[in-house]
Amino acid sequence: MNGRALRIGIKRGWAEHLQLLRNRRELITTLIGTAGLFALLLLWIGDEQVKGTTVSSGMFMTTGFLAFTVFSNALMTLPMALAADREEGTLLRLRTVPGGIPAYLVGRAVTLLCQIAVQSALILATGVAVGGAPLPHDWPALLWVLLLGTVAVVPLGAAIGCLLPGPKTAGAVLGLPMMGLMVTSGVMLPVTYMPEAVQWIAQAFPLYWQGLGLRAAFLPDAMLAAEIGGSWRLPYVAAALAAWAVIGMLLAPVLVRRVTRRESGSRLAERQLTAQAS
Amino acid sequence: MSAAVSVRGLRMTYGTAEVLRGVDLEIRRGEIFTLLGPNGAGKTTTIEILEGFRNRSAGEVSVLGSDPEKGSDAWRARLGIVLQNWRDHNKWGVREIVAHLGEFYDDARDPDDLLAAVGLTGQAGQQVGRLSGGQRRRLDVALGIVGRPELLFLDEPTTGFDPEARQEFHLLLNRLASDDGMTVLLTTHDLVEAEKLAHRTAILAGGRITACGTPAELARAVQAPSRVRWLEDGREQAVTTDDPSRAAWELHERFGGPVPGLEIRRPSLEESYLELIGRAA
Repeated sequence: MNGRALRIGIKRGWAEHLQLLRNRRELITTLIGTAGLFALLLLWIGDEQVKGTTVSSGMFMTTGFLAFTVFSNALMTLPMALAADREEGTLLRLRTVPGGIPAYLVGRAVTLLCQIAVQSALILATGVAVGGAPLPHDWPALLWVLLLGTVAVVPLGAAIGCLLPGPKTAGAVLGLPMMGLMVTSGVMLPVTYMPEAVQWIAQAFPLYWQGLGLRAAFLPDAMLAAEIGGSWRLPYVAAALAAWAVIGMLLAPVLVRRVTRRESGSRLAERQLTAQAS
Repeated sequence: MSAAVSVRGLRMTYGTAEVLRGVDLEIRRGEIFTLLGPNGAGKTTTIEILEGFRNRSAGEVSVLGSDPEKGSDAWRARLGIVLQNWRDHNKWGVREIVAHLGEFYDDARDPDDLLAAVGLTGQAGQQVGRLSGGQRRRLDVALGIVGRPELLFLDEPTTGFDPEARQEFHLLLNRLASDDGMTVLLTTHDLVEAEKLAHRTAILAGGRITACGTPAELARAVQAPSRVRWLEDGREQAVTTDDPSRAAWELHERFGGPVPGLEIRRPSLEESYLELIGRAA
């Protein structure tokens, strides 16, 4: 990638981020969908305590929602955006332009990171204000877990986005597994509430590890009573997230290249016809 | 100067279906060239191969001196592309997207001049998604030429236009081509459009170029046989011939004077074209 593509890509990502912020409906959905719902949940059960610990569920849920924000933006919002860009011809448009595809990918990444940053800040602010969540006691852990957790899921999301036929299918295909992981991965309820088989499955996915890492950064050791093995297992967090990052980075370039190379006017027309028919 | 586009023996096969069976084309620099043919004749396939979006099965292709399959970014910067189905960048502002795509080129057109040229100055601040169909298509043309391309591809640019919008669009293309010496290749299934707009036209039917030339040359090349009718022995007689004048003269000789009910019917260019593509299919 050359410097020009990188520079235009960053500008492009920022422009699309501002478009999201200016879009009133999008803004209200984000505000109510993340901060609003979260605040209600905190008011409802935030004062309870996680069983067997002295940690309030408000504190617990703040870290869980933070992890889920990164996860859902990368694995739901990003694939849907990629699928929509293909269906509307955005990807093809950039393909007609010299250096357009690298700039497009940079732009998508920038928009995504901006969204994650805005929503994480909202969740954290709501958690502190309404849920009585503490500020993190381990800032370095917060930073590396957030960064590594993002790198673990963004390439994966890009890869998934390339495999989906269209944005409508994307919602249908991704919605249910996302909900399932949200419930089982220990971000809404402590993972030790789950049957052991479910615990094993949850530990195969990056959401559990990201949540665990964030709890390590925020919560007192009193929480360990409700964690698997009674430990923060930070080396495992690093290893699991890194493994997912590697898988994503191996898959994404191959799939992205395949999808962008195949993009052409007649394929665009076919897809739009199929989308209209369904 | 070498040709803008040169194609020899281009073949394209999808599975067992042969879409292009040896297409030869030569497009000169600075001309408006139309590729005319019925739907499904392989126009879009041809243009996508020239644009470098699709790999051919066989044949030689050179576009601005390069093989499109190996086209570099520098080569791509010399092309402009306008497709049929774009609905992209709907949330961007009109001027914003023109300026954004211009940044990819070294010598891009000024966004405001460009919007004035395509008649979208009044919509500069509007969202792309709120444009009418005709405005959207003019924006697509603006985005196609923002990088001052040497060669512009237009795939069925006026599909769905009303006659007035089509007329305006033709004027716009003529102006752009004559001002900048840009070569234009457009596909259409509309003979009238090809006749009006193009310096030269090639007819693609049944996977081959069946005729190619200026509108007048094309008319001669595709001219279907005329029908000569007359009355003889109280019955209507008719012959089909490529030389109706000779047939009429022979009739006059035979009758030794005026021929009763003589009628010569030359098919219109459109009827000739329809017969031609009917034969090729």
